[in-house]
Amino acid sequence: MKILVAVKQVAALDEDFEIRANEKDVDEDFLLYDLNEWDDFSLEEAMKIKESGTTEVEVVVVSVGPDRVDESLRKCLAKGADRAIRVWDDSIEGSDAIAIGRILAAVAKKEAPDMIFAGVQSSDQAYASTGISTAAYLNWPHAAVVADLQYQAGNKSAVVRRELEGGLLQEVEINCPAVLTIQLGINKPRYASLRGIKQAAAKPIEEVTLSDIGLSGADVGAGNSMSHVRRMYIPAKGRAEMIEGTIAEQAAKLIQIMNEFKGV
Amino acid sequence: MRLANSATALVNLALKARDPYSATAVYSIAEGKQKHQLKELMFGKRRDALALARWEHTPASVLEALCSTSDDAIVVRLDKNQNTPTLAISKLYVAENQRSKCSTSLTVLVAQHRHASPSILKNIAQFESEEASVLALSKNLAANSEVLSILLGRFESSSILAALQKNISEHPSTSSQLLEQLYEKGDVYVKAAVIGHANCPLQLIDKALLEENVLIQRQLASDKRLSHEVISRLSLHQDKSVRCAVASNVIASRRVIKALVSDDSDMVRRAIASRLDLTAHVISRLMNDQDVWVRQKLARNPTVSFGVLDKLSKDLQADVRRGVARNSRCPIKLLHLLAKDEDYWVRAAVAYQHRTPKQLLEELAGDTAVDVLSGVANNPNTPQRLLKKLTFSVEADVRRGVILNPSATRFTLLPLLEDDYYLHRLMLVGNSKLKDKDKWHLCFDPDYQVRFTAFKYFAVHFIKSI
Repeated sequence: MKILVAVKQVAALDEDFEIRANEKDVDEDFLLYDLNEWDDFSLEEAMKIKESGTTEVEVVVVSVGPDRVDESLRKCLAKGADRAIRVWDDSIEGSDAIAIGRILAAVAKKEAPDMIFAGVQSSDQAYASTGISTAAYLNWPHAAVVADLQYQAGNKSAVVRRELEGGLLQEVEINCPAVLTIQLGINKPRYASLRGIKQAAAKPIEEVTLSDIGLSGADVGAGNSMSHVRRMYIPAKGRAEMIEGTIAEQAAKLIQIMNEFKGV
Repeated sequence: MRLANSATALVNLALKARDPYSATAVYSIAEGKQKHQLKELMFGKRRDALALARWEHTPASVLEALCSTSDDAIVVRLDKNQNTPTLAISKLYVAENQRSKCSTSLTVLVAQHRHASPSILKNIAQFESEEASVLALSKNLAANSEVLSILLGRFESSSILAALQKNISEHPSTSSQLLEQLYEKGDVYVKAAVIGHANCPLQLIDKALLEENVLIQRQLASDKRLSHEVISRLSLHQDKSVRCAVASNVIASRRVIKALVSDDSDMVRRAIASRLDLTAHVISRLMNDQDVWVRQKLARNPTVSFGVLDKLSKDLQADVRRGVARNSRCPIKLLHLLAKDEDYWVRAAVAYQHRTPKQLLEELAGDTAVDVLSGVANNPNTPQRLLKKLTFSVEADVRRGVILNPSATRFTLLPLLEDDYYLHRLMLVGNSKLKDKDKWHLCFDPDYQVRFTAFKYFAVHFIKSI
């Protein structure tokens, strides 16, 4: 039994930052990288299944990204994942979430997992579509925003509770293999032990190229994506002013401001 | 790795680690060539320099070393970082003023910085006209009375006067003289703030007695210089917030409190329940109060008798019973009773209570609730044998309880140096029960915050020995 957990190294922003000259992203000097918060919960859910049953479960984490992503994959290995795969080729740069889903599906076809977990969304881009597009490319059933999972390794189906608007929960039985996008709060993610961190440092990270998974540059990248970032910018802030004084003074000031706007 | 035996050896280790955070921890003990090498390590990459300029733990000496930069993004972060020392802020301010185009936002950051020197703040007060900078300065706790006085004088006929008056009336450095001016010219909010100010002169208190506004009366009712006659009058005020202020005022007489104990407002009776001068009559009224918070506050009151606590320990509301268990004078007999309470939150209060005896803590150590176990782990009366067992709890809160326990010995704490949670390892760096040789390996911890704290701990050793 194998569970594939798709993870992403996300960028966090400081309070002050600068946009790159091409106006399509934030200057990398201002970004702090870490494992996507949702993916911490996905991995923990996989680890729970691995540790709870009698069936042997292999947890494999996969990520699409450059060398720096190894740091996040090692974090997953330190928490107990058995293997880590990183897919990268310079032609992947600029791929949208759907193209990333295509890459993950290609990895899944090679790995043949029994389940795929992904976070509901990434905290930096928030498209919330990578997991779902992976399911679409695989033609697998999927459930999004999973807040509870009842599943034992080897089962033909799983029962999930999906979080809906207004505090509603929807209980769904889903055939396996399936892709589940996992919601925050479904479990309590563990901290990596010092022993786990030391062991993870020695474990290899499998570096996979596009050709290894049957894809080429023609399948990925900005040019082969369905959506493109045109511009990233900080919207102009609206003006706000606290009007002090007595009620009469405040009313007079309001009338003055309205007249100024009307050009009276 | 052997313990470093000199400052040079410690700095060499930080350099060898190639970690900018460890480098910042030892920068203040480095000299000559090592100092240059550390600078290269910390500021060589722009993203590291940006991160360190913003980090709330970056030592002042490192921030000062950064302030000669011409990188605007770093300058903004230095101006914002509350650790940036006075000298560095002064240099940044001078450099910003020498530019052909001085940035308003940077002046605002200097004006609100807690380490800005009095001379710079005075300079801003005298010459800066930008509203944002002036308002930021009026809220800066480093501003002295002279600076505040200059501001109030310069902007007397400005549109920001009302906001300025409000900020200065709440500023702790505002002098009595300035408060008098503010009281004469300010609106009702300013007047109320002036009356509530620690430097408010007595003559203003007398003036405020003639005011009818509730905000002013409320501040007045908290003042400890009032006469008994005024306090009695305010205790009859129609606004409950004024009566509540009287109920909290230590100078309110027993007669006034006796009258207020029957007040319609829960808020007033809650304030009375926390007083340390309650009479038997008042206590008996409060004991049977309909409001849970009144009974809860009475249960926490260290002046009430055993009989009162005994009755409150049988209250139907768990919060009241918990109040009894948390009372610093709670009798052992009641702690035994409350240790068996059906509500885990009450049992947790017994576990945290410093009067709880060893035998009872042994019983509570068998509890399944995390909060109860955390209390046992925190309690200095817990036997060492139990503490050792709790260091292996799966719950981080329980293990942290042992780290915080002042009675935990070195041998109890040793396994926690390998704790999964980085914060626990970080907390142990400063623990006096552990020896330096126990903590040394934390300099090479996987977490950068733990490494920084450990290197800083050892660097301080060498500073002390110089």
